Amino acid sequence: MNRLVRFQWLVSVTLGLLVLRLLHLQMIRGGYYRTLAEQNRLRLVPEQAPRGLVVDRRGRLLASNQTVFRVAIVPQELEDFPDVLSRVGTLVRRSPDVLRRAYNKARSLAFIPATIVSHVPKDVAIRLEEERWQLPGLLVKPETVRHYPGDTRAAHLLGHLSQPTAEELPKLKPYGVRPRHLVGRLGLERLLDQELRGRSGGLMVEVDHRARQVRVVGARDAVPGERVELTVDVPLQSLIEQALGDQAGAVVALDPATGEVLAMVSRPAFSPEAFAVSDTAAVTESLEDPASPMLNRAAVGVYQPGSIVKLIVAAAALEAGVITPSTVLECPGSLTIGDRTIHCWNRDGHGPMNLREALMQSCNVYFMKVGRRLGAARLLEAMKDAGLSYRTGWPLEEQPGHLPARRLSEGEVALLSIGQGEILVTALQIASVAAIFANGGALVQPWVIRRVGEREFPPPPPRRRVKWSPQTIDAVRVGMKAVVNDPSGTGMRAMSVLVTIAGKTGTAQTHVEGQTHGWFVGYCPMEHPRVALAIITEYGGAGGDLPAEIARTVCEYVVAPETL
Amino acid sequence: MVTPMKAVRSMDLGLVLPALVLTLLGGLTMVSAAATLNPALAVRHGWWIALGLAASFGVSRLDYRRWSDLAWPAYVLALAALVLVLAVGAVRLGATRWLSLFGVSLQPSEPMKLTTVWLLARYLAGQPTPLPTRVLVTSLALAGVPAFLVFIQPDLGSASIFCVMWLGMVWAAGMSRRHLAWLAGGLTVLLPLGWHVLKDYQRDRLMVFLNPQIDPLGAGYTIIQSVIAIGSGRLWGRGWLSGTQNQLSFLPERHSDFIFSVIGEEWGFLGCLAVAGLFALLLTRIIHLAQDTSEPYGRLLAVGVFSWLAYQACVNMGMVMGLFPVVGIPLPLMSYGGTAMGSAWMALGFLQSVRRRNFAPRNF
Repeated sequence: MNRLVRFQWLVSVTLGLLVLRLLHLQMIRGGYYRTLAEQNRLRLVPEQAPRGLVVDRRGRLLASNQTVFRVAIVPQELEDFPDVLSRVGTLVRRSPDVLRRAYNKARSLAFIPATIVSHVPKDVAIRLEEERWQLPGLLVKPETVRHYPGDTRAAHLLGHLSQPTAEELPKLKPYGVRPRHLVGRLGLERLLDQELRGRSGGLMVEVDHRARQVRVVGARDAVPGERVELTVDVPLQSLIEQALGDQAGAVVALDPATGEVLAMVSRPAFSPEAFAVSDTAAVTESLEDPASPMLNRAAVGVYQPGSIVKLIVAAAALEAGVITPSTVLECPGSLTIGDRTIHCWNRDGHGPMNLREALMQSCNVYFMKVGRRLGAARLLEAMKDAGLSYRTGWPLEEQPGHLPARRLSEGEVALLSIGQGEILVTALQIASVAAIFANGGALVQPWVIRRVGEREFPPPPPRRRVKWSPQTIDAVRVGMKAVVNDPSGTGMRAMSVLVTIAGKTGTAQTHVEGQTHGWFVGYCPMEHPRVALAIITEYGGAGGDLPAEIARTVCEYVVAPETL
Repeated sequence: MVTPMKAVRSMDLGLVLPALVLTLLGGLTMVSAAATLNPALAVRHGWWIALGLAASFGVSRLDYRRWSDLAWPAYVLALAALVLVLAVGAVRLGATRWLSLFGVSLQPSEPMKLTTVWLLARYLAGQPTPLPTRVLVTSLALAGVPAFLVFIQPDLGSASIFCVMWLGMVWAAGMSRRHLAWLAGGLTVLLPLGWHVLKDYQRDRLMVFLNPQIDPLGAGYTIIQSVIAIGSGRLWGRGWLSGTQNQLSFLPERHSDFIFSVIGEEWGFLGCLAVAGLFALLLTRIIHLAQDTSEPYGRLLAVGVFSWLAYQACVNMGMVMGLFPVVGIPLPLMSYGGTAMGSAWMALGFLQSVRRRNFAPRNF
């Protein structure tokens, strides 16, 4: 029967087409669909590694981790949304509208918890947890966040964390960084981000069609980040921070023998924890404050040095033979070069004085005369030799400062000899200069990391020895001792009965009329120096005032038993 | 008295064996599909298979010609059940398809298929060729009434089966080409109108069929997950009880309409090829039976059953592979469903009877 044969044909062709489709789905595209099936059933539940601790030279905590609680909502489990919002709102003191907006922003898939409050204190978390049984859909999840026990302490050294940007994410992904993770942004948190981060672990979980866990198919433990030990001494750091108080400025304390940073203070400061817990208000305030609390004034801030460069001028002049320690020069109160008259700070004049007296009194005329004898070339060479206008090479952010590269007029040479004009330095550079006099001629490289995990980082060798003989350095030291320990020295407020301090003050004019930066550079104890210091107070008056007092505080701490 | 052994020997094994293997494969797959769903389903499915085989054997022992007068009462009874289902039936998955009787769910549309084939075969058998228009219209009404009742349940897929069965049977019974052309023309005009008759969900399904990604978590979900399941099986399959799409419930309706997806996932291309091959064997055997039967009533019975099973098998397999819209047509002999299993096997029993009456049995 003809018609029945057609039936058979029709069915055969249809079945043939079905088999072709099977071939396509299972043989040609089979691998693709197998992957899709695997993606369907497997979920990665990441476990973030606790970030490495940062401790000082004695193991005192500078950065650690703490548990906070995240409040989230699981969309598919919600029953009474307004009720949940109002209950949570009352406890965390936020309006339901704010929470609803946060929820709408965070919501993705039905089974993925949407965070409505990032961090709540433990007591609130406990109360929420108690009420959770009658608020279906609510989730209170413990989370580890970075904690800085000293709040703003050493903030600029430590830096802070923040969420990676969209551009950074692809680069960080191989290291296990996910959008919610935080990465180091500034300071050591950025420099040692990889070491501190550790390796995230996680569970590979098989889920069913409602994303409910069926079983765990694989697990990798999170490896905590490495512990970082710094050369910093926390009590000294705190002491200086307290001493500066609300005064803007910077202090660097180095071990003059090794260049280890014992303390580095920059004020005003930010709170790194505000960044870690995404406290938007505090973060915005820190970023937009005109006082620039984010700026590390100790290494990135550049200032005119004022009289503290006289130490370098003196050493260079002695070394060049243009003066001897006993060369006497007259200070009539001002010096006229060409048609320009530059006054000494003592307009009545210091009279005749030798090097020791000139340093002690910080006589401008004496050093302008010395500077002119030295000439621009030898002056600048000495300054560069002492490390000015070059980066110190320490591991964190810093500025090189500035020295003039053009031909200088005689007046400009004179100004440069007293630290004014076209010259900018950082406190870190000046602390290294202090260390030269303390250690007898070595330009150390500042260093702040002692140990990362099991790896030791000994301080690098000095960058070089400056071209000053021991006699030259000793002659300058005599002047530095007089600055602090002679009743008529400019730094006499640093004088201590507990310790002999050598120093030099500086009071740098600024572009604001009548406002000066106060400097103190020095070391102690004179006999066996254990700390080299650079202190600057921004618009803080004379170097003989607060900077000298801070120097005394630091030095008395350093020589007290059971400290460094 | 015929001994059971003789009864078995008198069967057409070419017809029984493919169907039996398909049924048993279906049972095996059901164990896996029901494992996380509801293991009791597999046990019940086993009972339905047993009942279906018994009913089939019983029907095959009867002389189909002697009982042909029962076609009308059976048809009316099934029709009554269909009307009853609309009146009191249980609503499941947005449709009223089931009747609950003594705690057992029955789907009257399944016996309706059988009785429609039966009645159409009986009615068309005595008609002259080419079929007069009057006969065409009457036969269309016989198939159209149950189709309509099923359509308004609503069950578009099952309703279409009645139309296909009718078309197959009138074509085999000698429909003139002129009528065929009329029919084709009429359909082209009516189809766009039909779009407006469709329920929203039926239109959605058609739209989603055209592009499953429109609604990946809604209506498109079924097709996507089914295609993933079949594709992921690759050559050898992921193994019995080991299909993740199946065991983790990503596959919806995997015990009924999507049983073939489970086969694709767990038995791979080879398993699918076996199922398609067995259907090809079974259907070829049925069409040969029709060709070999000169007696019109028996031949039309075979053609009706052929159209029914061929259409359901092809549409179901195509549907789960994303080739046809998801219209809710189960895979004959394999999908879960007692009335479907019983009706299909009784239809095969009829064909056994046709064969026994039309060929001189060697052992008699």
